[in-house]
Amino acid sequence: MVDRRLAWLAGIAVIWGAAIFFKIISLQVIHHEEYAKLATARQVVAVEIPAPRGTIFDRTGQPLAMSVPTESVSIDPLRAPDLAVASELLALVLHLDRTALYGKMKWAHDNHHGFLWVKRKIGYEEARNLRNLGLEWIHIQDESQRHYPNGTLAAHVLGSVDFEERGNAGIEQVLDGELRGQPGEARLLTDVKRRGIDSQSASEARPGTAITLTIDERLQFVAEREIAAAVEAHHAQSGSVVVMNPYTGEILALASYPTYDPNLPPQPGEDKASRLNHAISVPFEPGSVFKVITLSAALETTDLNPASMINCGRGEITLFGRTIHEAHHGYGTIPMAMVLAKSSNIGAIQIGLRVGQANMYRYVRKFGFGQRTGIPLPGESAGKVRKPERWSSASLPSMSMGQEISVTTLQLAQAAAVVANGGLLVQPRLVLKKGSQTVPAEPPVRVLKPETAITMRQMMEGVVMPGGTGTRARLEGYTSGGKTGSAQIFDPVARHYTHAYNGSFLGFAPLTNPAMVAVVTLNGTHGTAGFGGLAAAPVFHAVLTEALRMLDVPKDLPDQAPTGTLVASKEEAADLAIADIGRGQPNILEDGDDEEQPGQPAGPTVPNFRGMTMRAVLTEAAAKGLTVVPDGSGVARVQDPLPGSAMHQGERIRVGFAR
Amino acid sequence: MATMPAFFRRINEAGFPALSGAKPERDPFQLRALPQEDVFFHCKKIDNSRLVREADPQARGACWSAIGAAGVLLVVLTSVLVPNVASTLAGYKLQALRVEERQLLDERRTLEVVEAGLLSPQRLEQLAQGQNLVAPLPGQVVRLNAKGDSAVAMVK
Repeated sequence: MVDRRLAWLAGIAVIWGAAIFFKIISLQVIHHEEYAKLATARQVVAVEIPAPRGTIFDRTGQPLAMSVPTESVSIDPLRAPDLAVASELLALVLHLDRTALYGKMKWAHDNHHGFLWVKRKIGYEEARNLRNLGLEWIHIQDESQRHYPNGTLAAHVLGSVDFEERGNAGIEQVLDGELRGQPGEARLLTDVKRRGIDSQSASEARPGTAITLTIDERLQFVAEREIAAAVEAHHAQSGSVVVMNPYTGEILALASYPTYDPNLPPQPGEDKASRLNHAISVPFEPGSVFKVITLSAALETTDLNPASMINCGRGEITLFGRTIHEAHHGYGTIPMAMVLAKSSNIGAIQIGLRVGQANMYRYVRKFGFGQRTGIPLPGESAGKVRKPERWSSASLPSMSMGQEISVTTLQLAQAAAVVANGGLLVQPRLVLKKGSQTVPAEPPVRVLKPETAITMRQMMEGVVMPGGTGTRARLEGYTSGGKTGSAQIFDPVARHYTHAYNGSFLGFAPLTNPAMVAVVTLNGTHGTAGFGGLAAAPVFHAVLTEALRMLDVPKDLPDQAPTGTLVASKEEAADLAIADIGRGQPNILEDGDDEEQPGQPAGPTVPNFRGMTMRAVLTEAAAKGLTVVPDGSGVARVQDPLPGSAMHQGERIRVGFAR
Repeated sequence: MATMPAFFRRINEAGFPALSGAKPERDPFQLRALPQEDVFFHCKKIDNSRLVREADPQARGACWSAIGAAGVLLVVLTSVLVPNVASTLAGYKLQALRVEERQLLDERRTLEVVEAGLLSPQRLEQLAQGQNLVAPLPGQVVRLNAKGDSAVAMVK
């Protein structure tokens, strides 16, 4: 009987075991795929790996635009238990209008929409408060937000992004594909409490490429500060500044005013002009700055040279039914160099007529006018250069002095670089690096012979020297050259020129080996105070003075040492001394026992010969009984001892002359 | 309530009547039945006083074999399970570290934005103006390491 019972027991055990075995087979083999999918769906969560948008740096590595993580809130209106309560709750936490939110939620609910953005880019506190609610119909998504830490600085260069972080202006728009990252995805294995156990990368995140611009943040700031001050001071409509390396084409600063803050979305009623990059998008008649092109073409295509005499008459000329005046008065017959220095319209016309229509058009195009420079910014204007077939008889004289043509500030900078770098047309560069890869520069194209470029530089120096129209652009410690421009603005409705001006200045420094080119344009100035020499040249002076100092460009002229010269062997000492000056404290590094203190001469003082011709120097020295040792030819550049210092018995003054 | 002996007894009675035909004699060792229960207890005295415990070398060996087998089984199971457990625990830790890493990277980016804002030229100029600092005038700084007897001062 016992055996029988055992047999039954064993039979039941076998059946039981077999049932379990078959269930296991069913689970693990027959329905394996089905259950594996169910398990995966519950345990594995797809997690997005964020790929932040690339940072934009200036040339010194300072971030100009970068993205930081933030969060956005969405809800499932179909799962919200009570829309009225839900809207009240969300409005309270997210500081929203309850009625408007309820309306949106109701609409989404009635239209069976299971997704509704409630608020994008919320703050940390708001996100934490929402999480503490623990409501399953509220979703918090990771996003990122673009920040421009310098506010308005370089706004027109950087541009801005929309809510989805897509570039909609500036570099952000042009290089959007490279700046935007590709988010990756990871599969996260979670436990019952949704804690991550393991993760596997399904697709790698590809962060956006960092972009390094050629812009120098410090220089950009100075350019923006000065152009803003000038526009306000001269009641101009707008203004722009471009500072460029003439050899590489690197844009060191590109400022446009009025400006805007790219951190803020466009506001209703906002002035659209503030978002316009006036340096590249707004062409204008250049006026007298264009005489640089006319004279360059003349040096290349005619037998004219700086000493060639040009008859400028009595300040008035009538050609093809149009009477053209000088800005001030007649100059008579003057050398071609003086035509540029005095900015004689009639002289430029005479020279332009010698150049001829075909050559003029050819050189205008060779200098890059009438075509886009290729700078990677949206909305660049090519300007307007009509083909010779469409020129009237008055077009050549007009173009010779910068009328009947429209250019951008950037094109002028590119043209100025031709003169500054020895005759090569370089393409303006704005992007220095993409990631760690340096963006190669386009090969330059020769436009002028080197000797022509050097001659033009010497003539352009006359513009900033005494007697020229751009003396306010003259720099301390550096030689410089340039050209002023004051173009009357043409009213297309009334079809005549108004009394509003485009005041501009185009220049470079130092003269012998230009380190940078700068073009300043003020649009819509009024009266003579709005002329280029009075309105734009001081901006050039202010910007270049700081730019040359910041970029450590060696001086090529001695300084007029001010009272309280500091002697410093270290940067720290210099900084300390500078701080003391402002407080009116005595200079701790100054040697108070020195009898030859600048500003306290014991005997006769050395006159300032700089900028004078050799004849004038010798005449003045003879009149004062001083002995001068001249060296070189041209204009006095360097002198030793310095002007204002005390003379000793029998001491001679060494004066260096250069063109 | 049917117990297993009652169950077998009923099956025997129903399915095998030939075996249950004769009335069995009463078992002298059977104790009194429990009321309303088909459970029977038997009592039998066994005299083990004459039994002598005899050593069984094979049993001892079998015992040690069983202990050894259990030990090996334990080691094998441990060696199989411990890595899995350790891996799971490490997974928790790794995932927590990944989350922390991401949070720290996010925090660093936020701090970089703050730093860039603090170092913006506009702010620095405001600070400088507040301190009455000015840029050096031309010729205001003379460097002692300037070579030659030239009076030209290098100004930075």
